[in-house]
Order: sequence, then structure tokens, then C-alpha cells
Amino acid sequence: MSNHIINSEKTTEEIQFKEINCVRGKDEISINFSSYLMDESKLSGTADWLFFPKSEAEIVSILDFLRKNKIRTYVSAARTGIVGACVPTSGSVLSLEKMNNFIGFGYDKNKNNYFIRLEPGITLNEINNKLRKKELDNIPELTPEAIGNFKEIREPFHYPVDPTEMSATIGGTLATNASGARTLKYGPTRKWIKGLRVLLSSGDILDIQRGEYFASKEGSFIVKKPNGEILHFTIPNYIFNTSVKNAAGIYSKPNMDLIDLFIGSEGILGIITQIDIWIIKKKQLISNVLFFDTEEDSISFVEQIRNNRTISPEFIEFFSSEALNLLKKVQKKEFSSLNIPQIPIYAKSAIFFDVPYSEEKIDIIFGEINKISKICNTSLSNSWSGYENREVTRLTHFRHALPENVNAIIATRKQQFSQLHKLGTDICVPGKHFRQIMKYYHTVLRNANLEYVIFGHIGENHVHVNILPKNMKELQLGEEIYERFSRKAVEYGGSISAEPGIGKIKTDYLKIMYSQKDLDEMRSIKKSLDPSLILNYGNIVKFNAETE
Amino acid sequence: MKIVVTIKQVPEANKVAVNLKTGTLIREGVESILNPFCEYALDMAVELKNQNPDLKVEITVITMGPPQAKYALLRCLELGADRAYLLSDRAFAGSDVWATALALKEGILKKIEDFDLILTGKQAIDGDTAQVPAELAENLGIPHIYYGFDIKFDNKKINVKKETEKGYQVIEVRLPALVTISKGPSSIRRLPSMMEIVEARKKPLEIISAKSLNIDGNKIGLNGSFTQVIKIFSPPNKDAGEVIDGSDSIIAARKLFMFLKKKKIL
Repeated sequence: MSNHIINSEKTTEEIQFKEINCVRGKDEISINFSSYLMDESKLSGTADWLFFPKSEAEIVSILDFLRKNKIRTYVSAARTGIVGACVPTSGSVLSLEKMNNFIGFGYDKNKNNYFIRLEPGITLNEINNKLRKKELDNIPELTPEAIGNFKEIREPFHYPVDPTEMSATIGGTLATNASGARTLKYGPTRKWIKGLRVLLSSGDILDIQRGEYFASKEGSFIVKKPNGEILHFTIPNYIFNTSVKNAAGIYSKPNMDLIDLFIGSEGILGIITQIDIWIIKKKQLISNVLFFDTEEDSISFVEQIRNNRTISPEFIEFFSSEALNLLKKVQKKEFSSLNIPQIPIYAKSAIFFDVPYSEEKIDIIFGEINKISKICNTSLSNSWSGYENREVTRLTHFRHALPENVNAIIATRKQQFSQLHKLGTDICVPGKHFRQIMKYYHTVLRNANLEYVIFGHIGENHVHVNILPKNMKELQLGEEIYERFSRKAVEYGGSISAEPGIGKIKTDYLKIMYSQKDLDEMRSIKKSLDPSLILNYGNIVKFNAETE
Repeated sequence: MKIVVTIKQVPEANKVAVNLKTGTLIREGVESILNPFCEYALDMAVELKNQNPDLKVEITVITMGPPQAKYALLRCLELGADRAYLLSDRAFAGSDVWATALALKEGILKKIEDFDLILTGKQAIDGDTAQVPAELAENLGIPHIYYGFDIKFDNKKINVKKETEKGYQVIEVRLPALVTISKGPSSIRRLPSMMEIVEARKKPLEIISAKSLNIDGNKIGLNGSFTQVIKIFSPPNKDAGEVIDGSDSIIAARKLFMFLKKKKIL
């Protein structure tokens, strides 16, 4: 354990810049490659260059060119993000989609666990499909007989991080430390990263395995470059809030592992070129939706099953009365569109949760849930339940149907007000304040007479409030309320961005969570590792003209 | 009133591929499900039970299959069946439609001899033969109606709406009878509640061997089968058809002429 990193290296392969696949010209890119200029937030930008490197060596060559010509670059993966982190404001886009190979497969004796080495552009779907089918024949073994032994295990394996959008890439989810519904059980991406290769904007490469390099008492790391130069950088002084689900700002804590600095740093410190992830056996699950007469009852239910060892839920999701009403309206218009049974008329709230399924234990698990249901004034009869894969998938689609329908409503309203958009919070608060903030949400939004729904990861006290403005006046009112919610969350010790990160869209809200000094320390480490500020400029922190 | 629903466990059809070398189905990693048409038949039985509380309808499901076919029966019990029978024995292995129908007949006569109505799916999505229901009815000596989608009880008779190419026919038939179901009462597959999942596991599910049915060994399994599957293959992919833009009729006609000439039709 040391804060001295000695294995910084240069790539041995020299690639000529002109050999790299790229598209040039602002107009050409905006006309024929416009999807590379935006993400799911629909924020869009411009770029003069669009690169498609196929290897780390090609990225090194691109970086040389960019540094010399003072051109900024924005790393792009699957563009499923919702905060505009990959959206270029000028310069170039570096798409990692061609770097989508399995590099290796290994077994760690000490951890008694299998791992995969990946290029950053591979999607979570591709990883899980390969693991499900155990199609690993052409992948190099990183430890002897890893693949042969792996294939003999009957149970399927998976990478358990589920950020909803499984078409996201491993690199993209690492850059934002993606979590998702199953974080309740499995934790965020950070927990599943065994190792990384990071390319700094200087072209230097850091090869980091977890547990190798830790910050000194003073919070510093020292990199000895192959040419004898020394790179020294210091982590911010604040302690990153991990008491709640949190993806706001650069991770920092005393004596931290260097690998954690890069996870969730939204690409502003370096480009990830290789990732080692842990994988685990996939549990068979039974998905359940339980309906309640009141929201208070559903919150009580969550509080009682969350840490119940018999039930051991994988995730717990919430639907507010407003959310169920919206879905009921969709069903009324066209019953089969949601592909689920009729949502009960009485239901004022619903909890959707997955628990492990086995014929031997189902009686015990459901018996326990039954006891808690009765205390919370409902019954197992007021539910849907499914364990076949097709039913688990169907219920997952039901969960996704809500945000999809919210987006559809906004899209219709946009025809009249083109600048209109939904306002979706990503606030997480400590459990002891959850009921208070829910009450606050309802009171403020009802008083303002705005249309809204609340849904999401209640298991971690992280629900999404979606405000659906009907006109520009309501949008403005919604924006004011959004900021009030953020301030309230920070007052309660929560995070303003539990999941999607900060990107370019939420930088102003970061000021609510961090002091000016904290933000300056984030800028400082960014400048140490990327002195010419060419990597993903504008994500997390903005720089004013003087600091540039 | 006793309704029997015969069911089949099938591989989830859209996920099955054929191994070109061996001519067998690649079933690895493909989940087995209750045949969707059998589920429609069960849904119909449950609807009849709910609509006719006075008739004290009892729903029995029965299938022939390997031990894991129990899970298809469990799904039926979760979705409202009252009891289930699984005819499972090595002696049944390799049964074709005829031998299957015979085994089901024996099972039904042995366990639910006084049945009033048998409902089945119109066909299974794996074999698609649609022959077992008719053969079962013939073996039992009862009338059968194919492609039913609505049933009304009328004393000792039923009125069945039967799908036809242009609409439907209404057929009256005395009970006992067999109806194959082509469309369920709901456009959405039902989901059981957690309570129904727990209760299903308390309902009777009996596994029956060939021996206990006293069937002649030569009439079941491979021995009792008149047909045998020689080869399974995917139909060749068809090319997408060519669409001729008709906005200019002269150009369209010329293109059509050239096309037909090229195909040597003209």
C-alpha cells in the first residue's frame, strides 16, 4: 500500500493520427452524426471532430493531436446519461463505441470470485448476455483454467449493477458510478470495480488495481512517469457523503483508494480504457407489486422489509397515488398498452419489490411478508406476483412504463411550448427524514397546483419527483420548487443527485451541497491531472475565464 | 360441475432455435412455460366458475410430461385451478399425439370420471399439431368443438361461439363435451397474487405413473405411437417482397412488367 504509483506507462504502439477513423466538420457532424451531440437529457452541442478510436494507442495519438491544437474532447459512450455529461460544447467527441471487446476472464483465488476484463464501450446487456450463455470461448484467460472451471458451474452469472438502461456501457456507468434499483442489495458500480486503466490527458497511463494505492495522510498521490517526471496531486479535503446514495461531485475521503477517485468523476480526470469487474451468480427472483390504501402504510411496509433478513429484497420501488392514477388513465385509454392486469381502483400507493425465489423457501418468505402486510393494513391478496422470467420481465416493463408515459405527455405538450421539459428530481435523504420530505413534496406541489408523480427507489429513500408543467409559467414555478427541494434535501443531509451525476445540467445545484472551497478543490485536482483542461470540460465544475 | 383442463408445458417458442446438425431443438437456457392456448382454456374455466357460482364449478388440470411439467400445473393452480394431475413415467416417453390422447383419456377416466366439460388449448405452440384434443374426445366418445372463444352454460348443454374465417358460429352441444379454446377472455395474461402463489402450493397435485392407470404398455410411449418425428428444421427465410411505388402508373406498370418478365412469368 502506497501513495506512490510506479507503474505509470506509455503505450508501446505508435499510431499515426491520420490512420484513425474520424469525421471532420461541424456541419457534417451536426447533419449526419447529430446523435453524438446529445444524450437522453436532450441537451445538445456542437463539435468539429468526431473520433472512433479502436484502441488505447489510438486514443494516445488523438490526445497528442488535441493537446497540440488545444482542442477539447468529450468522451461519449452509449449516451444514455440524463445530465449532458457527454454532450460537447465545442471541440471534439471521442466515441468509445468501437472499443467493445472482452479482453480477458479470470478467477481471483483470495476473493473466491470470477472477474472479466473489458474495454469501456461494451454494454451491460452484452456483458450479461455473454455471461448467461457462457459464451467465452475466444476470450483470453487471465488465470489458468478460469473459463473451463466457470463453465462447469451450472448457475448463470451476471454483473448485478442495474441502472435501468442496460444499453449503457460499462465505461459510461463507471464514469458516473451508476447505481439503480438493485443498489439496495448490491451497492453502486464502485463496489464491482476490481481494476482500471486510466489514460491521462498527457498520454500517461495509470494501471490501478483496487487495494494498491492509497492517499497519504496529507491526501496526496505521487506518480513517477517513465521519463522520470513526477506528477503530484492532492484529493479534496471534504468527505464525500456516502451515508446516502450519492453521485454528486468527486469522491474523496481520507486515505482513499486511488481507484475510487476515477469512479464517478464523470471523465474530467482521465479516460478509462480498460475495466476489471466482478461478477456473481444470478439469483432467481420473484417480483411482486403490493397495493396499499395510503402512502403512509406503504412507507411503513418498506421500513419493515428493507432490512428483514428472511425477506432480503433485491430492490424496493415506490408508486405514489398520482403515479398510479397516471397509469390507470393509460389503461383506461387502451387497456392492453401496459401489458399488465387492471391496477386496482382502491390503490393509493404501490410497492414493487423482488425477493429471492426457491420452492423450498417461498412459504417462509411470503409468510413473513404476510405478517408485515397485515400490520400495514393490506393483504397478500392485493398484489401481483411472478417468478417465470417472462413475468419478471413483464413487471420490470411495468416499472419503466411510468417514466415512459411521463415523457410521452411532455412530448405532446412540447408541440405547443417547444422549450417545455419535465423536471425530475434525483434526491436522496437519510431514512429518518424520508417521511418528512415526502410530506414536503406533496404539500409544496399541491399548493402550487402542479401536476406531478412520485416514484422510484424507496428502498434507499431515493424517489424521483417528476413535475409535469403544462406551460412556461408552470415550468418556471417548477424550477423554483426543484431548487427548494434540493435545499431541503441538503438540509436533511441528503444528496441532490443520487444517481445520474452532475454533468453539465446540475452544476448550479452542486453549489447547494458543496462550499466554494470544496468546489475549488475539485477544480484543483482536475487541473493537476488535466492541466490543459481538454477532458470533458464543464462536467461537475465550471471554470471561470481567469482560472482557465 | 366438473371442468377438466388438459394442458401442456412448452418451451417459450420465440426463443427456440433448431440445431441444424442434429435436427433437434436447442432448449438450453430456454424457459418452459404453460402453453399460451392452454392458459386461455384455463382462463375460460375460471371465468365460467366465477360467472356461475350456483354450479359449484371444480377445475381440474391434467397433463402428461416429465417431472418438471409440474411447474406448468403449479401455474394453473396459482391461476385458479383446484387440483392437478401429472401423468409422468418413463413409459410415456416418446408418445405421439395418439398415445398422448390415450394416456390423457385413461387419466381423466380414472381420476375425474364424472367430468362435464373438457377445455383445451386449440394447439400447443411447440408441435402445432392440434390433434390431441380431437383424438381425446373421440377416445372418450364425446362431441368436440374447435376454436371456441365464448361459452355459456345452458342446463345440461353449452352454447359455444366458435371462431371461423369470417366471423363466428354459435353451436349448441350437450355435455359432456370437449371445446378447444383459441382466444382467452382477457387480452392480457393474468398475474396471480402472492396469496394465490402461497395457496397454490397447498392444493392437491398428484403424480400418476403408467402402471397405476393399468394401460397396456404397447399402447403408450414409443410403442403406442403411429408417427415419429424424423426431422425438425426452421423454414427457410423468405426475402422481403418488392414494393412498387404506384404514384406514377406508367412507371409502375413498366416496373411490374419487367419484374414479371425477369421471373419468366410473362
